[in-house]
Amino acid sequence: MSDEELVAYMRAAREAGRPEAMKAPLAILVFGYWDSLVARARLRLPPAEAEDVAGEAVASAIASAFDGRSVGELRSWLHTILMRRIADYYEVRKRRVQTTELASEHQGDEDVWRREPAEPFEGDALFASESLALAYRELERDSHRRAIDLYVFGPLSAADAAASLGGGMTEANVHQIASRFQRRFKELLA
Amino acid sequence: MTDLERLLSEYKQAHRASPDADPAPYLAQLAGAEREALSQLIDAYLARAPRRDFDPAAFPASPAASAAEGLQRSLAGTGGLWPALLPRLRTQARLRRSELVSELAARLGAQSRQEKVARYYHEMEQGLLPAAGVSDAVLDALGRIVGWSSDALRRAGELPAPGGPGAAGSPGAVFTRTATPPRGGGAESRDTAQRGEPAEEEWDEVDRLFRGR
Repeated sequence: MSDEELVAYMRAAREAGRPEAMKAPLAILVFGYWDSLVARARLRLPPAEAEDVAGEAVASAIASAFDGRSVGELRSWLHTILMRRIADYYEVRKRRVQTTELASEHQGDEDVWRREPAEPFEGDALFASESLALAYRELERDSHRRAIDLYVFGPLSAADAAASLGGGMTEANVHQIASRFQRRFKELLA
Repeated sequence: MTDLERLLSEYKQAHRASPDADPAPYLAQLAGAEREALSQLIDAYLARAPRRDFDPAAFPASPAASAAEGLQRSLAGTGGLWPALLPRLRTQARLRRSELVSELAARLGAQSRQEKVARYYHEMEQGLLPAAGVSDAVLDALGRIVGWSSDALRRAGELPAPGGPGAAGSPGAVFTRTATPPRGGGAESRDTAQRGEPAEEEWDEVDRLFRGR
């Protein structure tokens, strides 16, 4: 079953008052995305915080599928909420520094929870993210972007990506496109 | 192949073999802009990673199991995300439940009714206590113990109850303010019976704090 079908199944079970029927689809979804979410969190957070933040993201992302909001594709939604929770984490720490200096302004660090940060990230991480997006946009052809999707961002080998792309694309072409893309990305970052 | 390309390729290979592969050892091999570039590329890869196939043998020992369990209780219960959130906050605060309850009772001025406070707090963690009935005083005291604001705790409890608005068990149906102890065969009495609480027990300040917001 697709993510969306699993969510629909859970909604129906919940509406029918059969909460035990939600266990299996929930287990499939949480287990299925847990490691990727935790690994992404580890890229930006201290290891001890990564699982907690990923847990909060999973809970609020899946729960929001039940509060009347349209969440679109679940995988994208999970990762969007993860990024918000990570941004919240840093917002909290920034406030801690400010409230140490200005105790009268202290309002509770966790007020940012479930609130949308104004900026997803600041500083180096935001700059790097924008650089990667720019390098991707600068690719001249759709087929090159597709090669990056399949080989650099995706799970395929260069040979498999070339075969999937067809149109005369070779393994060497895919390597060349990927190398140029990563070189450009590093130039933008430098 | 550059170090960046090699490390990205090695990480992807490790992730395919074992989805809980930690990116840190790969990042540690680079510094500065190269390291940030690798971090972004791994991040982009993980954001597109498909859902991992369910493994019934690995699931029970996975941290995902407790996350799924808390979420299931949240979706099945009437306390919003509290079942998914409160145990984690308690763990982060390094408090056993008995310690948290003791401090909560003290902050509420209900030391002599600690057993009842414990029962209600247990229901909050299990998603059995409708969030709408829990007073700001309780959430404020709890928030001070675990390091969250009462507003944030309130928002976490706001997931609509199963069955949609107006259904039995929804906050509006259950938590009309009552000046007297609930008696008879109404929803409150059924809740009481499910908790094993003596029906004749007097409605007191602790009940009002947890059920009569």
